[in-house]
Amino acid sequence: MRSALFILTAWCAALAACKQEQPQNPAAESVLRLQAWAHAGREAERRVIERQVRAFNRQPLTADIELTLLPEGEYNAQVQAAALADGLPDLLEFDGPFVYNYVWQGHLLPLEDYVSQELRENLLPSIIAQGTYRGRLWSLGQYDSGLALFGHRSMLERIAARIPAGPDTAWTADEFAEVLRRLARQDADGQVLDLKLNYRGEWYTYAFAPVLWSAGAGLIDRPGCRSATGTLNGPAAIAALQRVQAWIGRRGCVDPNVDDYAFVGRRVALSWVGHWEYARYAEACGDDLLLIPLPDFGTGTVTGQGSWNWGLTRRCRDPRAAMRFLEYLLADEQVLEMTRANHAVPATRSAVARSALHREGGALHLYVRQLAEGWARPRPQTPAYPVMTSVFQQAFDDLRHGADVSSVLDRAAAEIDRDIRDNQGYLPQARAEP
Amino acid sequence: MKPVNRRRPRLRGEGVTAALFAAPALAGLLLFVAVPFGLALGLSLTNLRMGSPLQTRFVGWQQYARVLADPTFQRAMLNNALFAAVVVPVQTTLALLLALAVNQRLRGMVVFRALFFMPVVFPMALVALVWELIYAPGPNGPLNALLGLVTFGGVAPQDFLHDRLLALPAIMLMSIWQGVGFQMVVLLAGLQSIPNELYEAAATERAGRWSQFRHVTLPQLRNPLVFTALVTTVLAFRVFDQVQIMTRGGPLDATTTIMFEAVQAVFERQQVAQAAAMTVVFFFLVLMVTLVQRAAVRQEREVA
Repeated sequence: MRSALFILTAWCAALAACKQEQPQNPAAESVLRLQAWAHAGREAERRVIERQVRAFNRQPLTADIELTLLPEGEYNAQVQAAALADGLPDLLEFDGPFVYNYVWQGHLLPLEDYVSQELRENLLPSIIAQGTYRGRLWSLGQYDSGLALFGHRSMLERIAARIPAGPDTAWTADEFAEVLRRLARQDADGQVLDLKLNYRGEWYTYAFAPVLWSAGAGLIDRPGCRSATGTLNGPAAIAALQRVQAWIGRRGCVDPNVDDYAFVGRRVALSWVGHWEYARYAEACGDDLLLIPLPDFGTGTVTGQGSWNWGLTRRCRDPRAAMRFLEYLLADEQVLEMTRANHAVPATRSAVARSALHREGGALHLYVRQLAEGWARPRPQTPAYPVMTSVFQQAFDDLRHGADVSSVLDRAAAEIDRDIRDNQGYLPQARAEP
Repeated sequence: MKPVNRRRPRLRGEGVTAALFAAPALAGLLLFVAVPFGLALGLSLTNLRMGSPLQTRFVGWQQYARVLADPTFQRAMLNNALFAAVVVPVQTTLALLLALAVNQRLRGMVVFRALFFMPVVFPMALVALVWELIYAPGPNGPLNALLGLVTFGGVAPQDFLHDRLLALPAIMLMSIWQGVGFQMVVLLAGLQSIPNELYEAAATERAGRWSQFRHVTLPQLRNPLVFTALVTTVLAFRVFDQVQIMTRGGPLDATTTIMFEAVQAVFERQQVAQAAAMTVVFFFLVLMVTLVQRAAVRQEREVA
């Protein structure tokens, strides 16, 4: 029964794929059709990228883009499978921190020869930082992400909490704990914080690695990225994650948020989440919505960064034409159209200046400050990242359920180190040109 | 026509025909079961990682040593065993009771049969999502609300899928609910093929309802029961979808299974060789359980 269903689904999917592959302009035979894979994203984002590809293809150029959207749930697995079958497209979009692994595997072309000085200077430093590995630039994003706390202003004013004006005056972890305690006293069920525990996968690493960094610890020793032992399971990491564990525990103050409605339904006062929730939250809260930096666990607030990036694969048949598409995507109009749809931070300074939400005084200006002033940190720039994030996700899931933080982190660090040993330190590989 | 000795040629012809008829199935078996298993066996002795530019090396039994020493994998094996030990008897018994119930010749029984069978038709992914909502924590979660109602608030609201003791039973409960309809239909077919004369004969010998069930129904149902128990065992060992969707093996490995760990290894961490070793271990476990089961309860020859 189930296999019949599976075959039917596969067949429908194949039909749908065939339909998509119909060339839009069969007359133009001399035009090179560059394959581009991107993540499907939310509907608003999807519509924008599809429209932008159509608009790009209307220009009389020597190459067109043929876009294929893939669901992001198992995106890396799909890329790995395609690489194995030698079926990677010309242009590939991927989640930022995976770039280092793809470079190590030899799938990407360095971009610096194709990026104009003008564009390079216009990009936010965080975009360059994310895409740079071993001294070369490998990827570019149309937007960067923002991670902070959303708050209900009225609830925070009721307990007379100090509201940090910027990252330099972020709540200390003790102050944050006090805010939570006072909020809980005003709250019917005592659950006042939303950590998006309903999310899965990369969220744990994206959202809670900043806790480690802020505490002076991390996922791995930087910048060498040789060993997690001592960094991931050091005393600073243990203390910081014990705090987070205490918020979540039985007598804690975190809403499990199964229905993803905790903040919008005013069940909690604070929501630890990224830019993608802005539209929904702003609609529900209006002027009551606040954006607050993450608490400082010892060495100043630190937040996450990085989002989906574009790169050129080694199979790219015309890197210059592909780069023209990326430049087109990075023009102000295109960047702004996308960030209006997903509320991420525009990747270029000129687009930020034209975005009412993001420029000085805008509701999301904090994100720009975090990225531009160095409060945000890219996830570890190492080919070990895919395994590292999988191990950390498991570890966070364990400590979320009350496991002993120290032994969970010991095990995670050992597992990451074993993977690095298994891969002979992930040293750069000399790879022949295809 | 002259009658000749056609015995041998005809047999040979039959042999060819038989081989021809069996060929598609055998080819499929070879191509989709034997070859991949051989590959898995071979891969499990290497250090192959998907996409790695490093040379693949032969590492002998290292993957097996790692897998078997990994506490998470040990827990996965235990969970698989627990799951099968509870689900197989409970689900088979429940299926038998349901089959007996819907075997009554009453008006509208078709509706009940359809209702009990319906969960089997739904994809597991859908069922898992619905049950995730049913298990929602807090007093407003449907199951919590129901428990509170029937016990007059005697049971405090539980977070079923995030409780170390309740998570696996919760997965078992929804799996039984989803799978019981299939066994019910098999057993129902078995029930309906029992000749009525047997019951009439038993009745004339003044056998009561229980006695009839004990000495007519159960022996006649032997083959369908053995079949459903076997199939349920194999399906129980394969449990994956529910875990992937509802708990991702958590909390603290309380619901992880061998299949889930293998999928995690290969698709999250690209450790193909390690996942291959897990599936080989899995194969031998299922093989052992099946052999033991076959030895314990043989199907009678006529149907086998």
